[in-house]
This record gives sequence, structure tokens and C-alpha cells, in this order.
Amino acid sequence: MTIASIETERGSAADRLHADAGAAPAAGPAGGEPGWRARAGLVWTLVRTDFKVRYHGTLGGFVWALAKPLIMFVLLMGVFSFLFASNPTYKLDLIVGLFLWDFFAEGTRSGLGALHVKGFLLTKARLPAWILVVTAISNAAITLTVFSVSIVVFLAVTGHAPPIASLALFVLYAIALAVIVVGMSLGSSVLFLRYRDLNQVWDLLIQAGFFLAPVIYPISILPEKFHFYLYLWPPTPVIEFARDVLVRGVVPTATAHLCLAGVAALTMAAGVVIFRALSPRAAEYL
Amino acid sequence: MTVIEVSHVSKSFRIPSVRRNTVREHVLGVLDPRQFRELKVLEDVSFEVRAGEALGIMGRNGCGKSTLLKILCGIYLPDRGRVTTRAAITPILELGVGWNPELDAVDNVCLIGAAMGLTLPEIRRRMDEILAFAELEPFANLHLKHYSSGMASRLGYSVAFAAVREVLVLDEIFAVGDAGFRAKCEERYRALRAAGHTVVLVSHAPPVIEGFCSRAVLLENGGVELSGSPGDVIRAYLSGLTPVS
Repeated sequence: MTIASIETERGSAADRLHADAGAAPAAGPAGGEPGWRARAGLVWTLVRTDFKVRYHGTLGGFVWALAKPLIMFVLLMGVFSFLFASNPTYKLDLIVGLFLWDFFAEGTRSGLGALHVKGFLLTKARLPAWILVVTAISNAAITLTVFSVSIVVFLAVTGHAPPIASLALFVLYAIALAVIVVGMSLGSSVLFLRYRDLNQVWDLLIQAGFFLAPVIYPISILPEKFHFYLYLWPPTPVIEFARDVLVRGVVPTATAHLCLAGVAALTMAAGVVIFRALSPRAAEYL
Repeated sequence: MTVIEVSHVSKSFRIPSVRRNTVREHVLGVLDPRQFRELKVLEDVSFEVRAGEALGIMGRNGCGKSTLLKILCGIYLPDRGRVTTRAAITPILELGVGWNPELDAVDNVCLIGAAMGLTLPEIRRRMDEILAFAELEPFANLHLKHYSSGMASRLGYSVAFAAVREVLVLDEIFAVGDAGFRAKCEERYRALRAAGHTVVLVSHAPPVIEGFCSRAVLLENGGVELSGSPGDVIRAYLSGLTPVS
């Protein structure tokens, strides 16, 4: 709770203190909650240190992040491009699918562990716990961004540059996937504090989900009647739509877009509901 | 003027007869319901902290001091009652823990400092001062996993002292470091007090309550037993202790 009336009194006290310490007064609004600049600094520091811890702060380390899906791509392509030889765009479909899937898998994994790993910050200060969850997917988001730029450059160089509208749609799909990942992470991060083997359960789901989503196979090899169920698994529509606009040069229908927006909104809403219910007591479970 | 108002705060923890904190245990335990024991830590606690005072909270181990501090700082939620704060609170709790072991001191200071509400320019400007106060300049680029617990605690004090904006909340003040470091902490503490900052501190050491507080509260069996001058509270606290035979 903030009450502005004490601002003047506090201000003078703080000023005197910092004059003693030889530093400028702390910035911050009245009554206590740190200002947006402090929060922005926290977000940036979380993203920067996450990157540093994960990749030892070097670009060389970052290569590993790209290497994982790339090596998967080479292996899978070696095997399955024979199987799906009739599909001329199989290789492009595969790499688009793999990177989007990698973002989903990595993002939800680090999101799930976010409060567990960074919970120590919650016992140090009062801060919105969701910041820890949202910033946890930054590494996965950086990888996806680098990949997206590379694939677009590749397409342009090989003379298949997608039109701007298609690129804009692809960005929207990536945002929808990010919303889905954040929604799932919000829910799983607080549940993980109570159920400490949830990460194992999630790993199993991710493993099964890899085959549930049409990453390595074209969805067309399955009977039409199953497609609806496949599309219920959120990564499926994102991967398929992205292939539509980037590789096949078609635009999904307005209904399809609405469904994706609906799935993203529902996932986020469910995550927010669980998070709001459980996060106030998160510190007690750390 | 009141900066923190604690009114009718109760807090209890449900202690299960068997601890289950995995999905597997919950699934396997569906047919075997657990008994819960209610551990009442705080029961109808009310008091207020006035601007500019240093309030000491005394009490025996397990009387709920640390839980009360966490509720004051907004880290725990009370079951009943409410805490109204009208000022920014900087807690110094659980100092030894709570670092990212894979990062060096500089990055950890950025992380904790930002979490405590400092902006990045402020942190950068005061980095040298923070490291110097903790006497850790030579180890600025050493990962925290190589730090001793004492070094980590010193760094914790140093960051928190730099981050104080209005109210400082301390759990077992000056319990770390050697005599020299403790003296520095005391000096910084007195500077903060002289500058008009409000302090809430918890201790079961009479000299600390006597020497650093302007008023004290005795917590016993989860409730406020006495509120008054440090001397009165210390006497009540000592008379309540079981004499050593």
C-alpha cells in the first residue's frame, strides 16, 4: 500500500543518509514499491545473467543453443528425407518445426523451474514473482529469434523470400507460441514448488508431445479425422501455420487464426489463474 | 506517524503427518489420507512501528519472530489479519543463502540489488562501495560457489545496506563476520538511524535490544506478551527463561 503523504519526510531522511554515504538518493515512488526503472533493471539483469550462466557469457557458448536443433535436423533429415522423398519441402518443414518445437520444449522446461531456481530472490525482497517466470524463457526466445532471422535470410538468398505479410504472420505465430509457453510456465512453476517431480512428468509429456506435434512427419500422412485432435496440442497449429506462410506460401484461414488466438488466450488464462492462486504462498514452499 | 501497522495477524502452518511433495507420492497416497497438525506460529499479533523508531522484537527460539518478519516484509501471507505498510521495506533475512552460485559477486550484486529496488545506474555507481564494505574487492570476479558462508553474508549486508530506502528489517543483526566487520555494520546502522530511518530488528540477545532499539516487543507463544522500553522487555524476557539448574 502506498501513501504519498510520507514522501517528503522519507525523501529528506534518505537524502541525508545518502549524502553521508556519498551517493545520490535512491529513486523510487512514495510508499515503497520500486519504480519502473528498477523493475526494468531487474528484468534486464535476469535476462543477462540467465544468458551468462547458460552459455558462459560467450557467443561461442551460444552456438551450443543453435547446435542442438541443428544436429537434430541433420540426423532426422538424413533418415526421414528418404521416407518422405515425395514431399519437396520436407527439409524446410523439418527445420522450421524443429526450431519452433525447441523453443516450446526449452521454454516450458526453464519456465517450470523458474521459481525453484530463482526463488531465493523472493525471500530477499518483495517483488512480482511473475517477472522471474517470464524472464526464464528469454534464452529460448533468443535462440528462436536468431534462428528466425537466419531462416529468412536463407530463404531470401535462395530466391524464396516470403512476402512481408507472411513474415508478419510468422512473427505473430511466434508471439502466440511465446504466450502459450508463458501461460504453461506460470502454472507449472508454482505447481513445481509443491510437486517436486513435476519436471520428470513434464519431460515425459515433452517427449510424447514431440511425436504428437507434426515435427518430423507431415501432418498429411495421418487420416484427416485425427487432425482436429493433433491441433489441440498447442505447438501443432503454430508449427503448421508457420510452415504455411514461410514454406508453402499459403495463408491459414481466419477461423484457423481465431482458434490459435483462442488456444493462446486460454492457456495464458489458465496459467494466470493457477499462478494467482498459488504464488502468494510460493515463498513458503521454497 | 505509523509506518507499519500489524493488526490481528495470525499464521499457522499445516504440518502433514507424512510429507508428500511429489506427484508420485500423491498418486500412490490417494487411498491413504494424511493427518494434518496445525502448528500455530502467530496468534492475533498486533503492534505498530512508528516512523524513525528502532523496534526490537525479542522472543525465544520458535516463538515466531522470523515468521513475523517475513509477514512484515510481504514474503509470507498472514492467514488472518493484515499488515499495512506505508514505506518501502528492505529486508535483511537469511543472508548466507540466496545467491546464484554460478555468477560472480558483481553479477549477484546486480541481481539482488535490482530485486531490492535499486536501478542499474545506482548499482553500477555504488558497486565499488558495496564490494569495499564487504571487504571483497579481490574476489569481485569469483563465482559465489567458491565463497565461504561468511563472505556471502558480508556481501548480503553490504547490498542491503546500500539498498535501504526507508525501513530496514533485520533478522539477528550483526550475527556474521569478525569483530571488525561487525563494528562496521554497527557504524552503518547508527548512520542509518541518525539519518532518520526506521528499523525493525529481531534478536534474542539482550545487549542488541538494549544497544540498538528505542522500543521493544516481547513475543511469546505466538502473541505479543509485552510492549515497552527495551529494558522492561529484556527483564520480562530473562525472567521468562527457564533457569539453568
